Amino acid sequence: MGGVEDETEPSRKRIRLSHEVLRDLANGLSIVGSNPDFSGDLMARSLPIKGDEEIVGSKGVIKRVEFVRIITQALYSLGYENSGARLQEESGVSLQSSVVNLLIQQVLNGKWNESLATLKSIGLLDESIIKSASFLILEQKYFELLDDDKVMDALKTLRMEITPLSINNARVREISWSILFPVKFVHVDSSNFSTTRAKSRAKLLAELQKLLPPHVMIPDRRLEHLVEQALILQRDTCMFHNSEDNVMSLYKDHQCGRDQIPSRTLQVLEAHNDEVWFLQFSHDGKCLASASNDRTTIIWEVDSHGDLSVKHKLSGHQKPVSSMSWSPDDSQILTCGVEENVRRWDASSGECLHVYEKAGYGFVSCAWFPDGKSMCLGVNDKSICMWDLEGKELQCWKGQRILKISDLQVMNDGKQIISTCRESSILLLDVEAKVERLIEEDQAITSFSLSRDNRFLLVNLLNQEIHLWNIEGEVKLVAKYKGHKRTCFLIRSCFGGLEEAFIASGSEDSQVYIWHRGSGELIQALPGHSGVVNCVAWNPANSHMLASASDDHTIRIWGLNDLKMKHKGPANHCNGVHYCNRKTDRGETWL
Amino acid sequence: MDADPRHYEHVLLGNDEIHSVVLSYLVHNCFGETVESFTSCTGLKLPANCLEDMEKRKRIFHFAIEGKALKAIEMTEELSRDLLEKNTDLHFELLSLHYVDLVSSRKCTEALEFAQSKLAPFGKVEKYVKKLEDFMALLAYEEPEKSPMFHLLSLEYRQHVADSLNRAILVHVNLSSHSAMERLIQQTAVVRQCLNQEQGKDALSSFSLQDFLKS
Repeated sequence: MGGVEDETEPSRKRIRLSHEVLRDLANGLSIVGSNPDFSGDLMARSLPIKGDEEIVGSKGVIKRVEFVRIITQALYSLGYENSGARLQEESGVSLQSSVVNLLIQQVLNGKWNESLATLKSIGLLDESIIKSASFLILEQKYFELLDDDKVMDALKTLRMEITPLSINNARVREISWSILFPVKFVHVDSSNFSTTRAKSRAKLLAELQKLLPPHVMIPDRRLEHLVEQALILQRDTCMFHNSEDNVMSLYKDHQCGRDQIPSRTLQVLEAHNDEVWFLQFSHDGKCLASASNDRTTIIWEVDSHGDLSVKHKLSGHQKPVSSMSWSPDDSQILTCGVEENVRRWDASSGECLHVYEKAGYGFVSCAWFPDGKSMCLGVNDKSICMWDLEGKELQCWKGQRILKISDLQVMNDGKQIISTCRESSILLLDVEAKVERLIEEDQAITSFSLSRDNRFLLVNLLNQEIHLWNIEGEVKLVAKYKGHKRTCFLIRSCFGGLEEAFIASGSEDSQVYIWHRGSGELIQALPGHSGVVNCVAWNPANSHMLASASDDHTIRIWGLNDLKMKHKGPANHCNGVHYCNRKTDRGETWL
Repeated sequence: MDADPRHYEHVLLGNDEIHSVVLSYLVHNCFGETVESFTSCTGLKLPANCLEDMEKRKRIFHFAIEGKALKAIEMTEELSRDLLEKNTDLHFELLSLHYVDLVSSRKCTEALEFAQSKLAPFGKVEKYVKKLEDFMALLAYEEPEKSPMFHLLSLEYRQHVADSLNRAILVHVNLSSHSAMERLIQQTAVVRQCLNQEQGKDALSSFSLQDFLKS
């Protein structure tokens, strides 16, 4: 490349420079730091670049003409009309053919007959498209005439112009109704009238554009659509996307880092005296309930810093607590002892409000109905029953085999009950319609979990796989997750994270496993517990908080690695320090 | 397998019964002259005004069949003020006959005006909307006979309306809406069908009047 530094032979160098610059221009390089006079000169002449490639972009899939046209369209839609016009001039590529421009003008000005003629003069259109487009234009003409109270003219248009097209008889029938009962727009004043008319004509144009082949009339906002498509694709493939405030930028491909996934133990909660079996966050994410082999349930409160502390310890069961359920408004909680009774507690006072028993039987699981006025209980006589809060039995479904520790869920609409039934199937019972659906697996099912939107079910199997089922309509298997260990104990998994994009599970190797739901890839295996991790729960209100319960009597709260942004507060909240034994930090004592 | 004709002998019929069946048929279909000769031959007595009523009904019926619906309506209203009020379906159909007449005579403007004044009120009632849509759509075609709704212009439709009108008037004067003959034939067919269902498909063939008459 010729440099400007050599001043010894200015004239020769200058000429050479100009050739090189021209060549560089032709290759698409911009002029950087070269002779200002020359560059200005070159710009002013705006020479059509020779050797214009048909294809742009490194992958060889973008056609230059199409690219320029959608950019021009984008310029116009942004309001940069001068730039749009200039680009058409400079590139030699026009946005629409002049015929199409004429058509657009005629439609917007209500020149119906002329627009029909123009329509026919656009070559490249087949007969049926011309007819459909003419139909639309004439329909507009018809309705505008009716709007102007020109009923006989409208009738004439209908008879002489619309019907003879012999397409869409059903629509002809529909619009004939308007001859008798014209739908009128309420025009407050004349300015309102013209805007409604303009809007309706613009709408017609949009409909026409859908009919015409895209190269004749480019679909509106094409460039925006393509860019959005790319962004959404990036977001969907981003495996660690777990944060609302990661705004997407066009400058670089969206890629969240692993740091968006909870992977660090923030707290170790030691308040149970035995294995912790079950965890569930309240719907508002402000409390966590944990149930244990020590026959108690503890309600923990999540404070504004994301730290948990014991709010209440609920004791009373004589058997270990195997299942619990938060009421829809989070004010109460049901706990179920293994083959024992069910207790209802007030979550804010910790008081036991009711003990439910069924003489001669024991309960194995419990779930609230979404109206908060009744509950669904699994009984160890293989039936499921529905009781009101006073203890009265409202309904009973017999004949399903409920296992000893079995899961029970009620869907948000209160119409479907999901329960494990027989070793390797799950029953979805529609209470009203009395319709049953079954999810059949080849392996024994140990537990399941329902997604928040009730469209998916996560099923844990004996063979160490977790299966994701779509339960809308026909049940179908959608994905499988593997990697964790499960040989003899009951392990639970859950949905979680932003828009439930992740699956988490406990494991017999004492780790917490996290997968990306969409791709099925294992993202994290988190060590920390010293015993089997029985259950995990992801905070529904905080996509960065995950809780895990283990045989080592503790519950761990997991959060993001980098907490600099989140914490402002007491000095002991600093990064990189693992928490253990909060009781020593805060000086509180546990029973 | 048909019913054994010997079984018929067990059914006793009196002449009077048969005569009244024939008479009800004749009256129903307004065969005035035939009724007169029949009654004189058999000695049956006709109720008062029967012949005059029949004559009126006959004229109304013919107006309807010819599509002269307005005349038919006028005469019906003379006969009974509220008959059409009480039978809105019938009223609608009679009005539509006139409308269809205008449409087939290509009198579009008149047809539209008639629709706007007389048919439009029916459009507010849900059950007439679909039918009214059909009628309005006729206006969209320069050749309504070639439209999907061509059946509305047909003789069958006019007959259907005329029939309904006839039956409504009969009911109004406390006669039966169906002649005895009709009812008997209908009953036979239904009974045959029921027996078929009970005994299995090929036990008895469906009743066919033609076949019966030939046998």
